[in-house]
Amino acid sequence: MSDSKQQQSSRPEDRPVPQEDPITTSSLATPIAIFSLLLMLTLVWALYDEVLGLRPWIGYQNDFVEAYGEALMEMKPLRAQEEAAIYASEGYQELQQALQQAEAEIETGLAEVEQEERILVPRLAAINKPFTTARSRLQAAIYLLETAGESSKPGLEEDLEELRTGPYLIEVPEPDGTRFEKSYSYGELEKEFNDLKELQGELQGRTVELLRTPTQLRRELNIYADARLTSVTEAQVEGLQTRLDNFPIAIKQIHNAEMGLVDRCESCHAGVREPVVLTPETMGGEPLFASHSNRQLLEIHDPEVFGCSPCHNGNGVATVGIDEGHGRYKHWLWPLHPQENFEAGCLQCHESDRRLELSPTLDAGKQLFYQRGCQGCHSREGFEQEPRLLRETQKSLSDLALERNEIELERQRTIGIADAAETNQEADRLYSQADVLTLNIADIDTQLDGLEIREADLMLEVKKTGPNLKEVKAKLKKEWIPAWISNPHDFRVNSKMPRFRLDEQQVRAVSAYVWQSGIEADLPQQPSGNPGQGQTLFETRGCMACHSIGEGDETTGGTFAANLSRVGEKTNYEFLVRWVHNPKQRTLPYCPIHEREITPEDYASQGLPFEFDLEHNQCPLGDHLLHTQQPTIMPNLRLSWDESRDIASYLMTQAHEDTVYAAAEYMDDPVLAEEGRALVQHFGCAGCHEISGFENEGKIGTDLTKEGSKPIERLDFGLLTHDAKSEGWYDTKGFFERKLADPAIWDQGKVKESLERLRMPNFELSPEEIRQLTTFLLGSVESVIPPDFHYQPDDERQEIQKGWWLVTKYNCVACHEFSPGQKTVVEDLPLYQDPDWRGQLPPSLVGEGARVDPNWLARFLRNPALSQTEINRNGIRPYLEARMPTFDLSDREIQQLVRFFGALSKQSLPYTAPVLEPLSSQELTMARELFTHRAAPCLRCHAVGDPVADADATAPNFLLVPERLKSDWTERWIVHPEIIRPGTNMPSGLFREEGPRWVFGLADVPSLRGYDQDHAELMVRYMFQYTPAEQRRLTGR
Amino acid sequence: MDWAQLWEIASKPDNIPIVALLFLVPFFTWYAFRQAFANDRLIDRLEQDKALAKTHHRKVEPFRKEWEQKVYVWPYLLRIEFLVSIVVTVILMVWSITLNAPLEEPANPNLTMNPSKAPWYFLGLQEMLVYFDPWIAGVLMPSLIVVGLMVIPYIDMNPLGNGYYTFRQRKFALLTFGFGFIILWLVMVFIGTFIRGPGWMWFWPGATWDHHRLVFETNRDLHEILGVTGGQPWIGLVGATAVGLYFAIFGWLTHKLITWNDFNRKIYERMTLVQYLTLQTFLVIMWALPVKILLRLLFRVKYVMVTPWFNI
Repeated sequence: MSDSKQQQSSRPEDRPVPQEDPITTSSLATPIAIFSLLLMLTLVWALYDEVLGLRPWIGYQNDFVEAYGEALMEMKPLRAQEEAAIYASEGYQELQQALQQAEAEIETGLAEVEQEERILVPRLAAINKPFTTARSRLQAAIYLLETAGESSKPGLEEDLEELRTGPYLIEVPEPDGTRFEKSYSYGELEKEFNDLKELQGELQGRTVELLRTPTQLRRELNIYADARLTSVTEAQVEGLQTRLDNFPIAIKQIHNAEMGLVDRCESCHAGVREPVVLTPETMGGEPLFASHSNRQLLEIHDPEVFGCSPCHNGNGVATVGIDEGHGRYKHWLWPLHPQENFEAGCLQCHESDRRLELSPTLDAGKQLFYQRGCQGCHSREGFEQEPRLLRETQKSLSDLALERNEIELERQRTIGIADAAETNQEADRLYSQADVLTLNIADIDTQLDGLEIREADLMLEVKKTGPNLKEVKAKLKKEWIPAWISNPHDFRVNSKMPRFRLDEQQVRAVSAYVWQSGIEADLPQQPSGNPGQGQTLFETRGCMACHSIGEGDETTGGTFAANLSRVGEKTNYEFLVRWVHNPKQRTLPYCPIHEREITPEDYASQGLPFEFDLEHNQCPLGDHLLHTQQPTIMPNLRLSWDESRDIASYLMTQAHEDTVYAAAEYMDDPVLAEEGRALVQHFGCAGCHEISGFENEGKIGTDLTKEGSKPIERLDFGLLTHDAKSEGWYDTKGFFERKLADPAIWDQGKVKESLERLRMPNFELSPEEIRQLTTFLLGSVESVIPPDFHYQPDDERQEIQKGWWLVTKYNCVACHEFSPGQKTVVEDLPLYQDPDWRGQLPPSLVGEGARVDPNWLARFLRNPALSQTEINRNGIRPYLEARMPTFDLSDREIQQLVRFFGALSKQSLPYTAPVLEPLSSQELTMARELFTHRAAPCLRCHAVGDPVADADATAPNFLLVPERLKSDWTERWIVHPEIIRPGTNMPSGLFREEGPRWVFGLADVPSLRGYDQDHAELMVRYMFQYTPAEQRRLTGR
Repeated sequence: MDWAQLWEIASKPDNIPIVALLFLVPFFTWYAFRQAFANDRLIDRLEQDKALAKTHHRKVEPFRKEWEQKVYVWPYLLRIEFLVSIVVTVILMVWSITLNAPLEEPANPNLTMNPSKAPWYFLGLQEMLVYFDPWIAGVLMPSLIVVGLMVIPYIDMNPLGNGYYTFRQRKFALLTFGFGFIILWLVMVFIGTFIRGPGWMWFWPGATWDHHRLVFETNRDLHEILGVTGGQPWIGLVGATAVGLYFAIFGWLTHKLITWNDFNRKIYERMTLVQYLTLQTFLVIMWALPVKILLRLLFRVKYVMVTPWFNI
């Protein structure tokens, strides 16, 4: 029956119905058991995760303890060995003997002191308490008396008297142990107490005095050992081992509340700050446990204050994993700086510094940014402030002038009303008002004067990366221009001028505009010079400190300025002569008010001679300043016209004979020029060049001051976004590196009109340069560190950094050494490899601030010839072939440089020359004799200003001494020239030490025998009163 | 096919519940219907065998007579619940150990995230904003959903199907809910998660979410498509006519559905006018959602009715 029923029900599946009830008979035991087991396992997993999985540092620290323990064990015998060797060394033994001897010598003295102390101490102890008790009671009684009413005073006075007389009975101990009782009044007690105290002090003083020599010797002994130890001592190793035995496995955290810093980096990087240098090799191949790779950096930036993440970035708080701690995950804004760009971390605190010894990459990045003209298009705080300051100054000038006019009108109106006033009182009031306005005008006039000086300064300071394109007609061969614009790197491999991605028509248009916007110039014909002579001059005058010459592997010279190998193909000889003679010379001055060049006709119209230079810089058409100089860094080498012609002739030979440039008549087409004008504006040519019509052009690029902080979404990777994400370079570093290598990269695959494409030109940067610039850009961030922690010294270090900006701006560093060890360009030039020429190297300026009088230095920087007439020479060292050029520095810059030199040598400013005692006639005779002594005739090497006599001079003229040098430095110099300037021609050992004074050491000078004063000082005093008359007397000319 | 993109969406900790939903909802739907169909067969059998119907209390089909007549909660239900609670605990623990709460970038008012998405359970609402006036999509519709769910017991005049799975006895209720929840709500959540990319643009699964993508999509109001100009009240009237037409057509269709077969008609006759009108209103408004979605996606209609106060 039931079966048939079963059959009736329609079932799509043919699954048999089980015999047993599946609910009541089946058992869930197995699944429950399995899942309970799984639950247990997840519980274990959760516990593991809690204890170790999310705390990987626990494992790391255990590994560290083990690896460090082994490293220390291995190190210990080596340390002991080294230590033993030092202890056994002669020097150490000597010192130790001296120490033992000294200790033996004071033994008796110490015993005496001890003996006296044995008597003193119990006595003092016996008297101390009764005395202090009595004193307290007495003082309380005095207070009571002072504050008591008149009636109770007599009684209190009696009490006080009683306290004063005592008697106080003291049991005074004797040296032999017995005691006897003695009675004191308060006064006696006080005296006794003070006497004992005094004696105690005296005994202590004697002990210190006795121990002085041994203490000193012990210190010397330690210094001796420390200086020779390459690492920790054995005892220190043992200390480390003990510490390691009790190494707590815990989060190691640096907390600086002021900075908002919590860094737990050392929880894993446990060996970073260990006193022993740990390398991955010593730590069992684990780089995690190595010491910090630059200890010097850690010494400057105390990790307890600065932590790790302010410099390195990363997420200092995270401890759960490698990527988390290093901040390498989505949305963390400060991922760890990549190893090759780690110096980026320096910039946020060292924003205004130009040269940091420990961040060469960053410095190079800054230098590149400036030198390649990045700031022509991109604003960047700290770079090229001068044009902005100049604009602001000019704005204030015109505003003030307007204000002055208004006040003047107001004044006249007031006087007018006053004249017509009805009462005297009213007139007086108005007249005094007018007087106030007169004073206001006078005040504005003084302000205007000040601003005008600043404007003149800034006009000198504003420089352009590229040449002035107004001079193209005078300077360039017409048909060369389009070839150059289309690809500058074809013509000159390392050209600063980048390649703009222009099509042929655009090249033609830009060339046409550049050509037609140039001013007409009619330079005087120049006879040709001697190229051979020119080459010699080029190589010896110092041109090659900035310029290089030769192509490919044969390139020699500096990279600061252009390579001149093919300059003959592009330049007109006449222009080149003028340029070499004075690069600052303009064909026409430019007037920022009239916004055009001022022509000879303009001068003539005002009846003025056509004359413009730094002195004649007033616009003939109004009361304002002109730009009278080319905005070029290139200094004036003060060469004669003949020398300029020689050099220019030599440079004209630098050309590829076979290059042919197609004629370019289209460059005279005004329609094309109009088209070119738009392109010049679009591509921001005026960022680097002075171009007619674009003198006040702004920057076309994005502001890079905080570029490193830009959210990644704001950086347009174009169609490469997806690739960037999947290949793992979707970050600021990836953006900068690829953009710098190929500025058009984000246009790839894009369909864009030519003028919509990315404008940044190709600079053909090397991978190393890209790394340096990327580091610089990555570091250009919105600092999250409070300003208090930024490097903002208010002492001489600030002047030093400002100075570095200047000496790199003008490339002074190519010739001169400013800080010990700094390499210059010239010292590597082939010419100076010849030993005969080593002496011809430009002087090192290490210690210059201590050497020269700052006032003189300012004068020298303004005019290195030190003469208004004989300018074709070096002012101090006429014998040097290399020429100290005239940089036409502004007064501000000169002052800055003077402060820089002073700061480098820790000199305080202003400087007042000490007054030297005048020489007596006797001393004068002695000094002359020393000065001209056969053993060291000073004038054999030092120049005297006479061409014949100076033919083989190798040292400066003594006539410069009184105003140029500082007397204390001069004395140190003549005594120890070798120490101050290693390798100098100045002979050392002229003087030898004799007691507290220096005496002439080369020969016995009879006339000086009775002279008991310092000979070196005598010479200095002599040199500081040296006059032309004295020189004539000595040289007989 | 951009597998990386697909994986990025699917593996996002935020989206785990939705990925799970993709598998769990079909499974449980299938499972529930399997049970419902079994019960339907049981109902058939019991209707034919009145004697059995008097003694049979278990909702299980097929079955044997020898099986227990009753099955008690303890232990038979509770032990299963116990097992399930263990399984769920294991899943939750593994989930919480392996996946951390997703953190996003620091808030920056100058730089909002794109696409900016609501939590998964609100993605349906967010998707609705694409098709309707914010006031309607954000306020009116959600309120109607909640009220509509509350109203169900008061307008459900079908006495059958309480306490057991069945399809046959509750076809209308099941299909309506299935359409409203699974088709409308879950599909919109799915679209919001997997389809809507940067700029809330439509990216088919497997397409790369390109932030720079540009599409030509111009939505126009109905009156613009019809070429009606002349401003209010004419364009408002055009819209009102269209909306009126919609209500008329879909009201009639809904009535057809409510009176589809004998069983439905029997239920319909049990309803009062108020119950009937309430049901009509909610259903017609529910149909409006897919209709508007299709109008927008297929015909690029922005608003059907434009008035100075609200747009539909």
